[in-house]
Amino acid sequence: MTDTTFEVRDIHKRFGALEVLKGISLKARDGDVISIIGASGSGKSTLLRCINMLEVPDRGEIRVAGEVIRLGDGAKPDRRQVDRMRTRLGMVFQSFNLWTHLTILENVIEAPVHVQKRPRQECVDEAVKLLEKVGIADKRDHYPVHLSGGQQQRAAIARALAMRPQVLLFDEPTSALDPELVGEVLRVIRQLAQEGRTMLIVTHELRFAREVSTRTIFLHEGRVEEDGPPDQVLVTPKSERCGQFIAAHY
Amino acid sequence: MPDFAFLWQTLEKLVAGLPLLFQLVSISLAAGFVLAVPVALMRLSPVPPLRWIASSYVFLFRGTPLLVQIFLIYYGLSQFVEIRGSALWPFLRQPYWCAILALTLNTGAYGAEIIRGGIQSVPWGQVEAARVCGMSGLLLLRRIILPIALRQALPAYSSEMILMVKATSLASTITLLELTGIAHKIISETYRAIEVFVVAGAIYLLINFLLTRAMLALEYWLSPHLRDAPAAARAQESAALVH
Repeated sequence: MTDTTFEVRDIHKRFGALEVLKGISLKARDGDVISIIGASGSGKSTLLRCINMLEVPDRGEIRVAGEVIRLGDGAKPDRRQVDRMRTRLGMVFQSFNLWTHLTILENVIEAPVHVQKRPRQECVDEAVKLLEKVGIADKRDHYPVHLSGGQQQRAAIARALAMRPQVLLFDEPTSALDPELVGEVLRVIRQLAQEGRTMLIVTHELRFAREVSTRTIFLHEGRVEEDGPPDQVLVTPKSERCGQFIAAHY
Repeated sequence: MPDFAFLWQTLEKLVAGLPLLFQLVSISLAAGFVLAVPVALMRLSPVPPLRWIASSYVFLFRGTPLLVQIFLIYYGLSQFVEIRGSALWPFLRQPYWCAILALTLNTGAYGAEIIRGGIQSVPWGQVEAARVCGMSGLLLLRRIILPIALRQALPAYSSEMILMVKATSLASTITLLELTGIAHKIISETYRAIEVFVVAGAIYLLINFLLTRAMLALEYWLSPHLRDAPAAARAQESAALVH
C-alpha cells in the first residue's frame, strides 16, 4: 500500500436503534480529492467523524499513513494511537470551531507547538505563511469573534494545515456561511486541490465538487450507492436515487 | 454630633485586625481554588466513585452552615484521641489553622460548583477541534478547556471571593481577633455597639469594593476576545466599506 495514503474498511456505526453507517469502505491515494455527497441523514458527516474517531465506529478498520486502528467486538482504541493518527488528519468543521480565547495566530500554532512540540519560532513563521496563503495575514492578532464567517473558516483551514497533515477532512465547510462568503472559502480549497493535497470533502456544493474532485461518492442510507469520477456520478449517475438527488440539488 | 475621636480610635484598633483577615482570606481562597479544580473534574468524571466522592463533599459543605463547620473542626476534632496524637495536632489545636481549614473546605465546595458550570459551558465544538488536533487528557484540559472554563467562571468566582471576605468574620467565634473579633472586644469595653459596627462594616465594604474593582480589571484583561476589534483594524475595515 505504498501510494494508499488512507483507507477505511467496512465501517459500521449505530446510534441506538439507527444504523447510520452500514459497512463503508473507501481508499484514497496521494493527491485524491474525494467529494462525498448525499441527502442529510445519509451518513456523510458521521463517516468523516468516524475517520478521525470523533465517533468511535462499532466495527471496521482505519489506516492512515502507517497507523492501523481496528475496531469491533468491543475492542477499545488506544488513546495514544488515536491522538497520533489525528495529527495526520486535518479537520475543518462546518462551524469553524476556532478557539475563542486565542488570537488567529495562536489558533494556528497551538497544535504544532503543544502537540507536535515543534520550535515555536518555526511554527510562527509557518503560520504566517499559511495565513498569507488563505488571505488573512492582516488578521493574525485578531480574535475569532472579530472575523467574518468566511475569514474564520479560512483561519480554520490554516489551523488544519499547520499540523502538516497527510489528509484533510472537510465537513460541509461552507454550509454555515452567508452566500456571499462561500466563494472565498471554496477558492482556498480549490487551491489546495491544485497543489495535490489529499482531501475528503463532505459538501452540498455539487458544482464545486464536480470541479475540484478526482472522485465523487454518493452515500445513501449508510451505504456507498455510487462511486466514480465526478463527471460520471454527477452527470450520468447509474443509480436512480443518485440521479434524483442530483436533479434536486444541482 | 458623632464622636469623631472615638470613631478614629476604633478605626485604628480595627485596622490592626486586617493582616489576620487578609491571611485568612488569601490562604483559604488559594487552597480552596486548588481543591475546587480537581473536585469539579471529579464531579464530571466518567468514573462513578469519583463522582460520588466529589458530590458528597460538595453536598456536605454547601448544605451546612460555615459556623457549624468551624465549630465542628475546632471543638469536634480535638475529641478524637487519634487526632490529638497525630502529626496534624500542632496545627489543628490552633484556632488559626482550624479557621483556615473550615474556610478552605467551604469555599472549595462552592468553587468546585462554579468551575463545573464553567467547564460545562465550554462549547463542545472547540473541544472537538482540540481533539482532532491530537490533544487529549491534561494537555486538552490545560490548553483549551480550563482557560475557557475559568474565564466563564470568573464573575461567579468574584462573588464567592466577596462572600469569603465576609465569612472571615465567623473566625471571631473561635477566639481569633480579626476585624469582627476586635470589634466585639471594643464593644465589650465601651458598650458602643453601633459606632463600632458602623466602622467595621465600612472597612468590609471598602475591602470588597477594592476586590470587586480588581476582579473586574482581571476579567477585562483576560477577555480581549470580548472587547472590540483593535481600533486600527476597525478603521481599515470601515475604509474598505467606503471604497
